[in-house]
Amino acid sequence: MRETTHFDAIVVGSGISGGWAAKELTEHGLKTLVLEAGGPVDPNHDFVEHVQPWQMHFRGLGDRKLLEADHPIQRECYACDEMGHKFFVKDGENPYTNPEDAPFRWFRGRQVGGRSITWGRQVYRWSDLDFTANAKDGHGNDWPIRYADVAPWYSHVERFIGITGAREGLSQLPDGEFLPPMQMTCVEQDARPKILKAFNGERVMTIGRAAILTKNHNGRLACHYCGPCERGCITQSYFNSLGSTLPAARKTGNLALRPNSVVAEVLYDPKKGRANGVRIVDAQTMESREYTARVVFLCASTIESIRLLLNSKSTRFPDGLANSSGLLGHYVMDHHYGSGASGTVPGFTDKRTIGHRPNGIYIVRFRNVKTQHPDFLRGYGMQGGSSRAGWGRGGGTPGYGAAFKQSLIDELGPWSLSASGWGETLPNADNRVTLDANVKDKWGIPAAHIEVRWRENERAMDKDMMAAMAEMLDAAGCTDIRTHGSNNPPGHCIHEMGGARMSTTASDGVLNRWNQAWDVKNLFVTDGACMASNGCQNPSITYMALTARAVSHAVTLMKQNEL
Amino acid sequence: MQRRDLLRAFGAATALAFIPHDAMAAWARVASGIRPAAGLTDAQLMLVGAIADTMLPRTDSPSATDVGVPAFIDVIVSENYSEPERTAFLAGLEALDSWTPPSASTDSTPARAMRPSPLASLSGDERARILDAIERAPSRRPEPMRTYWRLKSLVVHGYFTSERVSKDVLHVEVMPGRFEGSAPMRARNASPSRDMHGAPHA
Repeated sequence: MRETTHFDAIVVGSGISGGWAAKELTEHGLKTLVLEAGGPVDPNHDFVEHVQPWQMHFRGLGDRKLLEADHPIQRECYACDEMGHKFFVKDGENPYTNPEDAPFRWFRGRQVGGRSITWGRQVYRWSDLDFTANAKDGHGNDWPIRYADVAPWYSHVERFIGITGAREGLSQLPDGEFLPPMQMTCVEQDARPKILKAFNGERVMTIGRAAILTKNHNGRLACHYCGPCERGCITQSYFNSLGSTLPAARKTGNLALRPNSVVAEVLYDPKKGRANGVRIVDAQTMESREYTARVVFLCASTIESIRLLLNSKSTRFPDGLANSSGLLGHYVMDHHYGSGASGTVPGFTDKRTIGHRPNGIYIVRFRNVKTQHPDFLRGYGMQGGSSRAGWGRGGGTPGYGAAFKQSLIDELGPWSLSASGWGETLPNADNRVTLDANVKDKWGIPAAHIEVRWRENERAMDKDMMAAMAEMLDAAGCTDIRTHGSNNPPGHCIHEMGGARMSTTASDGVLNRWNQAWDVKNLFVTDGACMASNGCQNPSITYMALTARAVSHAVTLMKQNEL
Repeated sequence: MQRRDLLRAFGAATALAFIPHDAMAAWARVASGIRPAAGLTDAQLMLVGAIADTMLPRTDSPSATDVGVPAFIDVIVSENYSEPERTAFLAGLEALDSWTPPSASTDSTPARAMRPSPLASLSGDERARILDAIERAPSRRPEPMRTYWRLKSLVVHGYFTSERVSKDVLHVEVMPGRFEGSAPMRARNASPSRDMHGAPHA
């Protein structure tokens, strides 16, 4: 039997955005082909969150020589460790380049489920503070949408995936459709009101909002608090596409999923002015194949989608598909993160935690919400947590012998409380992705050349993260307060966004208000590439909402025979 | 957490059985006594064991050597360390073995008389005195202090991540089924650290 090569819809990528596109398209009755560059993942064998240190050759310290050989870049991500490295690409097969003076870290996961397997699971809605930011200060272009356009789609997504959080009623961080919140620790509960009081109610420390189930939901089980979500979850308690959106798509009977399919270009039909479909390279056989469809959704991740469009050249689009504006690849962003402070919390020595909370505390953006800070534009949220040191402290503290050993078994160190900022980056045309003419990946596709730099605004904000967190720890009664500055290069936060931004006019961006390419009406880009600014919130929930919203629009157009 | 749901869905044993075979096989090789190629010598293993047991001796819980700490350290030094790190560690170990506390030189007793034999062959008390002097040294940076603290952190890690200590001493719960942020301390067997899993990250 010949393989089917024509579909109603093609989705490139099977991660957070691709899974949502697949679910929504198939549930609308469209025969949908999902193309995933990486191989299949079988949770029963590949999810390894319950493997204990004594079951690992290096006891969790990492197979360093293997990581250095296969994952010299990926290993800088905390999740690319002794157990988790299989969910990260091999750097040798997947090169990218950057100017010597502009380091960039591109952490990638090519497998069914994409980076939804290893993501950080934090989910924060955007607000109009974010959607109007570009218009207000003139950096970047005005978003063609506002919070009201996305709010119902946030709800749609949150109800399906299940998210935990506490309602706070704050305009700059709208509440979502929350399952019960996770508990704060005793020291976090103690710090929250002290910080509120010290800063006129403007600095709100709330429990993290996360795509993790705190009770059974939609056929998936509640979290059992084992800890290392980034290694997978056999109970499907945190959201990933593998255990949630892709099964929903499969249930419709309309899904075809093709792993090991590296999409090389989107095919353009100049007569019809439409995308025909895509050309792939089979990752294993290296054969080229073409698939056609009425509509194409790019959900390959920000830089992959940009790279794919840049590599889709034709007479009509010599500089990359849907690039009549010349803006494709420009205005790439990531969050600058990691600067903050930590302190010791006196007391509470009769208290401890039980279970591993796969979540932390969140300090809601308080800068440039009501008044303008003198040193920088935009703002940041802070993420952190509290804990008592366990036996691990024994490696660095003086002592030996029976009493020393017993103290490590019976006692815990003092409580520490810390948090670091996740900051908004100003959109800048010079932060861009192009194709490297000289470097190709294993499948012959030109590598991305990434040039993104932190600038003055980001550096000023980093300084404030440290000072502000130190003040809050002081207000909370901490001692031994230490600030930490971050040297993380762009990309390290894995919140890369922009490059095919949405805009109000065709000359000002790549996508319209429905994530639809201005130049190619049956082409949609719904991953992070569509973002016109980057807020300070972890972005995945917004990609999911925009994807569902874009599919709804595409389906409406298809029904009207406009696509 | 609905523990019963979990058990019903996966079976108590099944949930714990998803262990990658390659990882298990690798550790099983070491646990069965097969040493890493170009690993530590017998004398080095004995020295590591003697120091490890001085740090974490046998009480009503096992000692470091009881749970295979020297074999773990052999794996890390021989298979995980880079060549320069390995060379430095082995040199540091040798320096540790013959180290004399600085105070000994001001003592009327000649240093050699106070340290008649390498560290491994000293009595427990004598060895403890050496460890004590090393830990009191003003800086951890010069050798052999540097290697001592590296070794100590490996000893502690190897001990508390061993199967026996994890299960029988710390009573680690793989699936706690709940998170409590304000639980009372127990008299013994406090909650293990989250060191293995790292801090929560977005």
